[in-house]
Amino acid sequence: MLINTVLMFLRELLPLFLLLATLLVWHRSRWQRFILLFSFPAVLMLALFSSNMLWISEQLDGFGLELLYSLLYTGCFVLLCMATAKRAVAMQLSAFACACLLSINGSNLLLYIWLPTQGNTDPSALLLGMALGVGIGSSIAVLWYYLLTELQQWRMLSYRLLLSLLGVRQLMMASALLIQSDWLPAGPQLWQTGQWLPEQSELGFFLQALMGYEATPVLSQGLAYTAGLGLLLWCSRNLQNNIRSAQ
Amino acid sequence: MSSLRRYLVTVLIALFTLISFLAALQSYRQSASRAEALFDQDLQVLASSLAQQYQAGSQQELGLALQVWQNNQLVYRSPLAPETPMSETAGFSEHNFAGKRWRVFHQTPTALLTVIVAQPLQQRQQLADEVITASIYPVVLSLPLQALLIWLVVSKALSPIKRFSAQLASKKANDLTPVELEQVPAELDQMLKTTNLLFTRLAEAFEREKRFASDVAHELRTPLSVLQVNLHNASQQWQQSGIADPQGSMLALRAGVERMSALIEQIMLLNRTNPEHFQARTEQLDLAGLCRQVVADWYPQIEKKQQQIELIGLEHLSLKGDAFALRLLVSNLVGNASKYTQAGGAIQLELTTHAEKAVLTVQDNGPGIAPEEYSRVFDRFYRVGGDRHQSGTLGSGLGLAIVRDIVNLHQGQVRLGASDSLSGLKVTVELPL
Repeated sequence: MLINTVLMFLRELLPLFLLLATLLVWHRSRWQRFILLFSFPAVLMLALFSSNMLWISEQLDGFGLELLYSLLYTGCFVLLCMATAKRAVAMQLSAFACACLLSINGSNLLLYIWLPTQGNTDPSALLLGMALGVGIGSSIAVLWYYLLTELQQWRMLSYRLLLSLLGVRQLMMASALLIQSDWLPAGPQLWQTGQWLPEQSELGFFLQALMGYEATPVLSQGLAYTAGLGLLLWCSRNLQNNIRSAQ
Repeated sequence: MSSLRRYLVTVLIALFTLISFLAALQSYRQSASRAEALFDQDLQVLASSLAQQYQAGSQQELGLALQVWQNNQLVYRSPLAPETPMSETAGFSEHNFAGKRWRVFHQTPTALLTVIVAQPLQQRQQLADEVITASIYPVVLSLPLQALLIWLVVSKALSPIKRFSAQLASKKANDLTPVELEQVPAELDQMLKTTNLLFTRLAEAFEREKRFASDVAHELRTPLSVLQVNLHNASQQWQQSGIADPQGSMLALRAGVERMSALIEQIMLLNRTNPEHFQARTEQLDLAGLCRQVVADWYPQIEKKQQQIELIGLEHLSLKGDAFALRLLVSNLVGNASKYTQAGGAIQLELTTHAEKAVLTVQDNGPGIAPEEYSRVFDRFYRVGGDRHQSGTLGSGLGLAIVRDIVNLHQGQVRLGASDSLSGLKVTVELPL
């Protein structure tokens, strides 16, 4: 129970924390406003989805939840593309992108916490697992924030690339869900790297949260990834000026 | 980073949390894995012990001792178990047999049946140690990593202070420009502002002092020149009119005005050669040629006092220096030697090299200076014997101060001593080649 809880929290929180930390570096001069803009829609969407999860999951032949999640992941990616291109509303769009991601991961976590507490599970193991998962995830986010602050100061290209990887990761998640619900043809498997870097390893977890690492990607995922990364890099070509003006 | 405290607190807490939690997670995994292996081992032992019951004559070593008693008769015992009961009391106990200490469990499920199982204590401790070691190992291994990361984080946090002190240390004596740092943390901001304010005020004060001394000297030079001309004219008119001057007032007046003029000239030169203000224009020059020019300049006065002067040593000595400043240095030394040496005395200039340095020695057979005065004669306005030197020569007390400033400008050295050959003063100047 303990190890499962830790892994569950890391899987859900790490991508969100990494995206939040990355965008906070961008909007650090007005971080309070960013947090406010992010919190309101996030709480609203989280409350809406988690309270209607059963109904949502029963829609569209039982794939309602997968399709909603893939829509939110795609929305997150599109919002990030627009945020990097549109200086005037960059903060609002970035905050809303984070809110989309939180509504997915938050719903999953609430479901995970809610279900075991209904049974005979030891709550101390759940609480300890939550503390470990939140602690590790938030620590990585803090270190990530300071690392990006340094990178942004010295190498703007690295910051742009990392932000693009985080953005295209959401597209990768969306495509995986669409393939899972047969809304997107999978195509042949591109490669198999599970023996060198398993998805369940610590590094695999981190890379999955950062750039949507998959040990066995299929053709449609590869195409989506390449196109998404190219689009985001193109949209963020003036990111340096946008960030400087924001600061 | 905007604040050192915030940076250190957040990053160190994050590091500690991350490493400790990862170590705890790893301990959990390793302990669970080890415990699972032990449970599997127990299952194997149990299966083997049951199998032995049905294999007559089997002597396989189990690691466990097992006895089954029925109606006080031993109906089964494993190879390691003795023929007597391993324990008489129900429950857990410890006993010695077969040369080992055993942990024994005695159970009587029915009145006629007794099962006794024993395990060597050493084996139990070994198994417990394995589980504990597996859980402690990641925590211990994470300590050097934590230490390294703390060192890196603290070094990074203190880097603005390091840059600040490095900039202060690299400043030259005359550099009073403000210190500039990128991304000044809040804790250093006030210190930087105060230091820069101090530099600005100091620069302004120096500028005022420089201008004041220079302006005063400059303003006094013109009226003094007029005074000198008028005095000369008045003196000639007195002579033509046959006005007697039994007290020598006119001569004393002329001497006073001349001294004041010389003093003002020296003040201006001192101001010009002060290392805090002077920007040396170094060039390759011939010190021997420069000395010859200075001797030629002073020759009329030397001849007037019927003194002997000679320049010995190297005929050419090339070094890098400021021509104006070095000429003033040699001029002050030769001028002092001539002024304070009696009429008919001797002056000697010698040029040599020693250990990558040019050495200029000026000696005379004048009265010299007492050794206890050597350090003080370089002070501004200090004159041996007070305002009026025992030689009766008028002076400003700035000549050697200017010499010291020029030598410092060239990273050289100047020292005084008694002349070996001429019995007067010897001034030695060493300048890097």
